[in-house]
Amino acid sequence: MTHFRLLLRNLLYHARTNTAVVLGVIAATAVITGALIVGDSVRGSLREMSLERLQKIDDVLIAPRFVREDLARELAAQPVFKERFDTAAPALMLSAPFVAEHGGISRRAGGVQIFGGDERLWQLINIKPPYLTGDEMAINERLAERLRVHAGDDVSLLIEVPSAIPRESLLGKREGDFREIQFKIKAVLPDDSGSARLTLNPTQQLPLNAFVPLGKLQRSVDLARVERSRRNPQGSEAQINALFVSAKSPRDQTGASAPEAARSLSDELSGLLVPADLGLRIAVDSPRGYVSVESEQQILDSDMAAAVTESAKRLGLTTSPVLVYLANELTNVNDPKKFSMYSVVAGLDPVTATNPPFGPFVWASPVPSHPLGPDEIVLNDWIAQDLAAKPNDDVRLRYHIIGSHGELPEVEHTFRVAGILKLEGPAADPGLVPVVKGITDAKTINDWKQPFPMKLDRVTPRDDRYWDEHRATPKSFVSLETAQKLWGSRFGSLTSVRVASKAGQTVEQTAADMRRELLKSLKPAQTHLQFQPVKYTGVQAAAGSNDFSELFLGFSFFLILAATFLIGLIFRLGIERRGTTIGLLAAVGFTPRRLRWLFLEEGLILVAVGGLLGTVVAVGFAELMVYGLTHWWTQAVGTQSLSVFIVPSTLAMGFVFSAIVTALAVLWGLRQLKALSPRELLSGATEPAISAVRQRRRSRRSLAIGTALLVLAGVLLLGVLTGRLQGEAFEGLSWGVVLFFLDGVIILVGGVMLIAGLLDGEHSAAVRGHGLTGLARLGVRNTARQRQRSTASVSLVAAATFVIVAVAAGRRNPAAEAPDKNSGNGGFRLVAESSEPILPDLNTSAGRTALGMKLKPGSPDETLIKDSRFFAFRVKPGEDASCLNIYQTRLPTILGVPKSFIERGGFRFIGRSEPNPWTLLEQTEPDGSIPVIGDANTLQYSLHKEVGTTIAVPDEEHPQHTLKIVGMLDGSVFQGVLLMSDDNFRKAYPNVEGYKYFLIESPGSAAEADHLSDVLETQLTQFGFDAERVSDRLANFLAVQNTYLSTFQTLGGLGLLLGTLGLATVMVRNVLERRKELALLNALGLRPSGLAWLVLVETAVLLLCGLATGTIAAFVAMVPHLASTGADVPWGSLALILAVVFFVGMLGALLASIEAARTRILEALRSE
Amino acid sequence: MQQEDGDLAVAGLTKEFVSEAGRLTILNGVGLKMRRGEALAVTGPSGSGKSTLLYILGMLDRPTSGSVRLLGEDPFARTDAQLAGFRNAKIGFVFQDHHLLPQCDVLENVLIPALAGAGAGAAESQRAMQLLERVGLKNRVTHRPAQLSGGERQRVAVCRALINQPALFLADEPTGNLDRSNAEAVGDLLLELNQTHQTLLVCVTHSAELAARFPRRAELVDGRLVDR
Repeated sequence: MTHFRLLLRNLLYHARTNTAVVLGVIAATAVITGALIVGDSVRGSLREMSLERLQKIDDVLIAPRFVREDLARELAAQPVFKERFDTAAPALMLSAPFVAEHGGISRRAGGVQIFGGDERLWQLINIKPPYLTGDEMAINERLAERLRVHAGDDVSLLIEVPSAIPRESLLGKREGDFREIQFKIKAVLPDDSGSARLTLNPTQQLPLNAFVPLGKLQRSVDLARVERSRRNPQGSEAQINALFVSAKSPRDQTGASAPEAARSLSDELSGLLVPADLGLRIAVDSPRGYVSVESEQQILDSDMAAAVTESAKRLGLTTSPVLVYLANELTNVNDPKKFSMYSVVAGLDPVTATNPPFGPFVWASPVPSHPLGPDEIVLNDWIAQDLAAKPNDDVRLRYHIIGSHGELPEVEHTFRVAGILKLEGPAADPGLVPVVKGITDAKTINDWKQPFPMKLDRVTPRDDRYWDEHRATPKSFVSLETAQKLWGSRFGSLTSVRVASKAGQTVEQTAADMRRELLKSLKPAQTHLQFQPVKYTGVQAAAGSNDFSELFLGFSFFLILAATFLIGLIFRLGIERRGTTIGLLAAVGFTPRRLRWLFLEEGLILVAVGGLLGTVVAVGFAELMVYGLTHWWTQAVGTQSLSVFIVPSTLAMGFVFSAIVTALAVLWGLRQLKALSPRELLSGATEPAISAVRQRRRSRRSLAIGTALLVLAGVLLLGVLTGRLQGEAFEGLSWGVVLFFLDGVIILVGGVMLIAGLLDGEHSAAVRGHGLTGLARLGVRNTARQRQRSTASVSLVAAATFVIVAVAAGRRNPAAEAPDKNSGNGGFRLVAESSEPILPDLNTSAGRTALGMKLKPGSPDETLIKDSRFFAFRVKPGEDASCLNIYQTRLPTILGVPKSFIERGGFRFIGRSEPNPWTLLEQTEPDGSIPVIGDANTLQYSLHKEVGTTIAVPDEEHPQHTLKIVGMLDGSVFQGVLLMSDDNFRKAYPNVEGYKYFLIESPGSAAEADHLSDVLETQLTQFGFDAERVSDRLANFLAVQNTYLSTFQTLGGLGLLLGTLGLATVMVRNVLERRKELALLNALGLRPSGLAWLVLVETAVLLLCGLATGTIAAFVAMVPHLASTGADVPWGSLALILAVVFFVGMLGALLASIEAARTRILEALRSE
Repeated sequence: MQQEDGDLAVAGLTKEFVSEAGRLTILNGVGLKMRRGEALAVTGPSGSGKSTLLYILGMLDRPTSGSVRLLGEDPFARTDAQLAGFRNAKIGFVFQDHHLLPQCDVLENVLIPALAGAGAGAAESQRAMQLLERVGLKNRVTHRPAQLSGGERQRVAVCRALINQPALFLADEPTGNLDRSNAEAVGDLLLELNQTHQTLLVCVTHSAELAARFPRRAELVDGRLVDR
């Protein structure tokens, strides 16, 4: 006889009990390891999706402006490129709304991503030949479904012709130049193909994609190559705004060297740039001896202006920065009849410009003794004569400023004439004004193709004569500082930087030197022409915003707990059955430690066997969960493209983790070995003997604690209901919500304590009455027989019921919520987004007219719009950081919050007591960071940030700005974005123009809001305007949360079921232990059906106690939520879960009662 | 070697239980001295504390007061683990219920105490075989308890009690579950083995027939042990 042999004998002899323990371990291991596999599967699938959607694309350059298409070819020809990369594909990426007419019904789809490419791109994204030609287009399945079109159908897209001049500058086109282009659908790409999924942002959501030939798209938006001609001596090259590159080695694709590979590409590209790629013009003025560096957008941005100045300085060249602006009117203040229309005023001080070629100016008046002051102006003698102005006279200058919605209010500034210049030499230089097509080349002022209204009736013949003779040559000069103060903008504060030639050097040589030096000095971070290692970042982002392993471990918590409880319970019951054996072993000298070790070894062997089998079952469980995620709980992941990924290390980890958990359960089962003496064990005791005095004391204590807790719950309820406990407790939760939940928990604990006390208490007259009632009374009494088992069973059922009911009761349906300023909808009815920026103000009739909206005056539609209030937000596109995206996101979309919105306030903040926390966006942070506000879900779960933390923009490596989180919104429509003040937004993102996000207050009903949505979408089709109810969007966000709740409810329900099985096991065990007692009752004349009834009542009492305590406590906890309009309790499924639990429990009891009824009297009454 | 005041010396042994009705004294100053080779039958009515006394003598329960010394040692001064070792080496038990391990065969059941002690090696197996041969179960060594009669099971239990050659041999109603002939056989066996192994035999029994065969008899009356 050896220790091992004894162990083996034990294992085999108690095979049935041990099998039950092994099954429990299998269940726990399967759930735990399965949850870990689900995490791996989500991560693995996201990684696969990243690789799939990008196909062979590894690095991408998205240019902030249009660059030459030839850059792709030139880049591909570089030796460094050839060494590490395969293909460089040029592309034009534009976004536009699509329209398809079918059977008289027009269908729209906004925000479609159009990829204009050639065979290089098609090869990269695996679009098979024959390639698209002419007006052929391929679209993805999702877009085809949205438009209800098929191959061979026609679609048209409304695309805006891009303009280099900012929309929000004086010369920018506010309304946009939209063109409708027809395409024929050649192919519909299935959603499971990479190209259909092509998007550069990490998201599992399917984009709306369209692919067209590059040449056709370029021609459609005036970006095609234009040959030099007499009319256009410069010509222009074909332009693109994106370059897609594939790398050769896996390390450069997704490995550690990918970021460096992208940097090397950016550096290579830098060396190939020409001024046009940077939107720069280097104009040569040979007669005057300088070159002028200007911008295609008419304004040099600050970085570029600084780079030009620095380059000139390094070359030892003198510079003269200039800012010119258009004055609508110059008037002699003393004689308003003397005025001049539409002249240029230059920010250039003629007093200080004394060195050639920028000076000296020739004065017709005495030379001012000092540089020009802030309110001083110098006129040329032509305008001085025209206005009859002389030194020290006042002149009034009227000019447009640009409003936040592109409106052009006219303002005026009065200057004192400091001097008068002769219109010759530097003062007669039309080169001070950059070339503006349609204006500087117009023959007369009347011929201007300007984007702003003109008072042509006030243009005098003298004005025309000046234009005829001197074109845009400035008529007046102010200091550069004054000009910048009055007319500088977020786009820049210089229109040109003039660079003088050195002595002995031709202007052409200077221009060449400047070109070379400037291009050499500009770093990719300054030109914003940087390749991004998109595949690498996509794979990194596949780590996911949330760890689905943790999520599913959380969802399965009760399942794991129940399985663990079951393991402990069965193991314990097994040990109890072997009480006399244990007692005997103790009696013959086995030390308590050795005894525990013997049983622990037995338990550990079971754990190991169950763990190994459970690991296999875990794969099946994970398959089931992934099936659930892709079929039942799709809104939690937003994709059906998940598959199971098995990682051996995860299996090992799951096995070890499960082994620890289940071993703890075994230890719990063994705990009683310590509590029982060998004598008690030999006598067959299963619970330590306790004196009646102690039992009564314990009962009283339990009853006292239970009652005290219930009284406390009542007092708290009273406090909340009478309004004595109000205000915010923490994290945006009111005391009401917190206390109700606390109340629920107290009721749960108090209820269980009361039940424990009652089980311990005296049960006088339990044997009373007759028939079923009398037996039921005895059945109730029997629940106290195994107090610990009964209390443990009731506690588990009650706790599981509490969590499941509370979670189910926590479901919300925002669609049922009315607009409320201090809620997640902020009091707004509609939220809208446009694919093209909208500049004019929708709140004004002028703005609506400028947008081309045709509304009949006084019509219901016009009234509906006039009664509504629109808040427009600027948008800096970023990653979708809402809960709809399960990828790890770093920098979400940023919205610029208008001043009017900040003043309005609204929404619910977490942990903020200010009356209007939106004003935090306007505060100045001491560290220079930009204050931003975000939704709690976005900040906590997607970005993993909290109030006070910062985010580097655009990335940690090259931070240009630092965003500081100053506020957190609670359950708002702003999920997935960050919000900063419009002022800060314009500084941070000067090139983002117009508004693309709108919140709309509408006083009407939900139906009227729907109609308003239709009207707006129809009237603003060309902008891809897409409006939906705020409540629908919130419901979309909440669908994720509600799906998680459903998942939890399902898995928790399974756990509750398993717990109920535990209860059934206890009942079967109780019956087996009481066979003698039942046999005696039978012998005394009780029918088998009576015995069954006895057992059924006992089980029903315990089950109902657990279910009722948990349910009552949960509903009390959720009262505030249930009282809200958005509560959406799934009564049906909840009742079903509880009913199934009761049914399964009673089924177990039925089996036990059948066993009881089958008890043979004589056998049971015998000792053996 | 015999102790001056007896190989088993019990003095002033009391055992009290606290109940609703107050303190309940089961043993009230029990005194006892025995030498190796002696056999004592303890009788008494139900509830008189016979089993309690036996369990205290067998170190399975602790007294409220008083002392027990076995071979000059005070076992209750030991920790539970040390006590288990002491019990294994010095004491053998036979219960009314044989408490054989159903999963083990006859030989294995006999060897269980050896396993708990120094180990069940060849010497222990040989001794077990000798014991089983002595009790007439040589041919049943591979049988399971379920295949044995009540008397045979109890004989196995006796062998198990003696496998470690204990100094103190305790029997709690060893014939309580046996028919007359089996009861007689087991009684004979106990007394014979007591003489053969020179143990201290204490047998608690209701059976007047069994008690009458013991050279020394005592009765528990009002918590005291009175020689008869």
